[in-house]
Amino acid sequence: MEFTFDNNIPIYIQLLEYMKIYLISGVFKSGEKLPSVREFSNTFKVNPNTMQKALAELESMNLIYTERTNGKYVTKDEKLIEKLKDEYAITLAKSYFQGMKRIGLGKADSIKYLERIDE
Amino acid sequence: MSNMKLLEIKCLNKSFNTKEILKDVNLSISSGKIVGLLGKNGAGKTTLIKLINDLLTPTSGEILINGKKIGVETKKVVSYLPERTYLNKQMKVSEVIEYFKDFYKDFDAEKAKKLLKDLDLDIEEHLSKMSKGMQEKVQLVLVMSRKADLYILDEPLGGVDPATRDYILDTILSNFNENASVIISTHLISDIERILDEVIFIDKGEIILQSDADKLRNKEKASIDEIFRRMFKC
Amino acid sequence: MLNKLLKYDLKYMIKNMAIFYILSIFFAITTRILFNMEQSVIINIIGQISVGCMFAMIINTLINTIMRSWVRFRDSLYKDESYLTHTLPVTKNDLYNSKFIQTLIFFFISFIVVLISLFIAYYSKENWLAITNYVKTITTGLNMSTSFFITMAIIIIFLEVFNAIQCGFLGIILGNKMNNGKIGYSVLFGFITYLVAQSLILGLVFVYGLFDSSIMELFKTATINIDVEAFKVLAILSSLLYIMIIFIMSILCKKELNKGVNVE
Repeated sequence: MEFTFDNNIPIYIQLLEYMKIYLISGVFKSGEKLPSVREFSNTFKVNPNTMQKALAELESMNLIYTERTNGKYVTKDEKLIEKLKDEYAITLAKSYFQGMKRIGLGKADSIKYLERIDE
Repeated sequence: MSNMKLLEIKCLNKSFNTKEILKDVNLSISSGKIVGLLGKNGAGKTTLIKLINDLLTPTSGEILINGKKIGVETKKVVSYLPERTYLNKQMKVSEVIEYFKDFYKDFDAEKAKKLLKDLDLDIEEHLSKMSKGMQEKVQLVLVMSRKADLYILDEPLGGVDPATRDYILDTILSNFNENASVIISTHLISDIERILDEVIFIDKGEIILQSDADKLRNKEKASIDEIFRRMFKC
Repeated sequence: MLNKLLKYDLKYMIKNMAIFYILSIFFAITTRILFNMEQSVIINIIGQISVGCMFAMIINTLINTIMRSWVRFRDSLYKDESYLTHTLPVTKNDLYNSKFIQTLIFFFISFIVVLISLFIAYYSKENWLAITNYVKTITTGLNMSTSFFITMAIIIIFLEVFNAIQCGFLGIILGNKMNNGKIGYSVLFGFITYLVAQSLILGLVFVYGLFDSSIMELFKTATINIDVEAFKVLAILSSLLYIMIIFIMSILCKKELNKGVNVE
């Protein structure tokens, strides 16, 4: 799978975004063991140091933790992941509304359009 | 773990007659990094690289690899890919593999054969019968098949098709280990910046900056390529 | 590491010189066969061609050995191939020693091949007698054995040319220190080195002559009325001096190489 990266934004921040989506969408479930830094960087085709940095960020957000000899795991705190999902969904919604506002459509209209779209 | 840097360059100057090519270059690179040496053509990238590889002699200053002066011991741990074709064209690819095996203890002949196969190159072919592009691929394979501490690649992507370019970048990444570093010298920045840990900008023989790649992107809110263009606008 | 370098240097020379060795001997054989056949106009003509080819190959062999030694020296230390040579984990001394030994071996082989070719083509009791008689006209004046004379002549010629080849090496090393006109300077420095080496040998013989008046006589008289002992001493002295100069020059070459190179 090809992962596109925008060279204008720090790579590790973009990796962070991809990882957050994986956690939210359940690609990696709560408490699950994660692949190694090596495997991750091979998949994303990025520098392992950069991958390590993104993972370190995730860890500082308590979304993952390191078990010293066993590797990295997704947090067991499901509520934290729910909170992350919530924040992400709100950000997506906000940007939708902003986009609609730019073309002169308000909140009510925006919601109507949402209902018109097939899943 | 010792604090010794993999590569240390101190007060390096190189002149030809009266022309100064490198002025007071100071830089150091630690293990486990992929570093981009970026600059315009004629900025001094190749001169710097040749000095590290004992192809040129410094006018003044010092180059240390793993704390040692350039010599037999440092050459054992450096794997260099020049920009030109430099193999003895009378040889077959298989003979060159034997040659590398003879001189470099860390050369992995099996890996080389596998990489050559991936790139559709015939081991029994004479180098003289291969195109320049094919010879360059052979050279790249030989360089990457060594377990060196320092890989120095001078324009590894120049004149190479996009598919091979990806293959080369993948090979560099999969070769990565925290005890080694890779210096990639190039002017094709956007193709390569994604895999860089650090970038070094060089212009008119002087080091303009050395920085962590993401930190620089964050600071300037732009890609390395864009930052370079801004800095070296003609 | 020296063995490995030598292995590849020798391989290269064999690949490039084998054809000349084979052809020299081949035409030597054809020459001998043709001249031993019933002579007719046609056979005569073919025979002459064969002789011509043989000498062409012999000259080719000698010139090629010398030129290739220089060109290979220059190419592997200063041209594209040097990007590989100088990054090998070997000392500059080993690099030079390998070239030195390779040149010595191949010059020796070429020398032998030439002698063998001439031998194959021309050896016969009559011919050998003719040569020894000719040599005797020189040596009886000196009361010296012909074999000693021929042996010393061959040795000195060999040392002389090998010395010249090494002067070329030093010329190439010094010439490539220049920023421009490297080839021109290489030739110039090689030539100057050769003149200096020859002058030095002559000078040292003269110095020896200060202690041995019989040698001094050689500088003074033009007639071949010389003491045979002096001639023997001269032959041996020159050989030793050549060997000494060759040795000193190889040390000089290595010293200069160790100062570092500047490859384009």
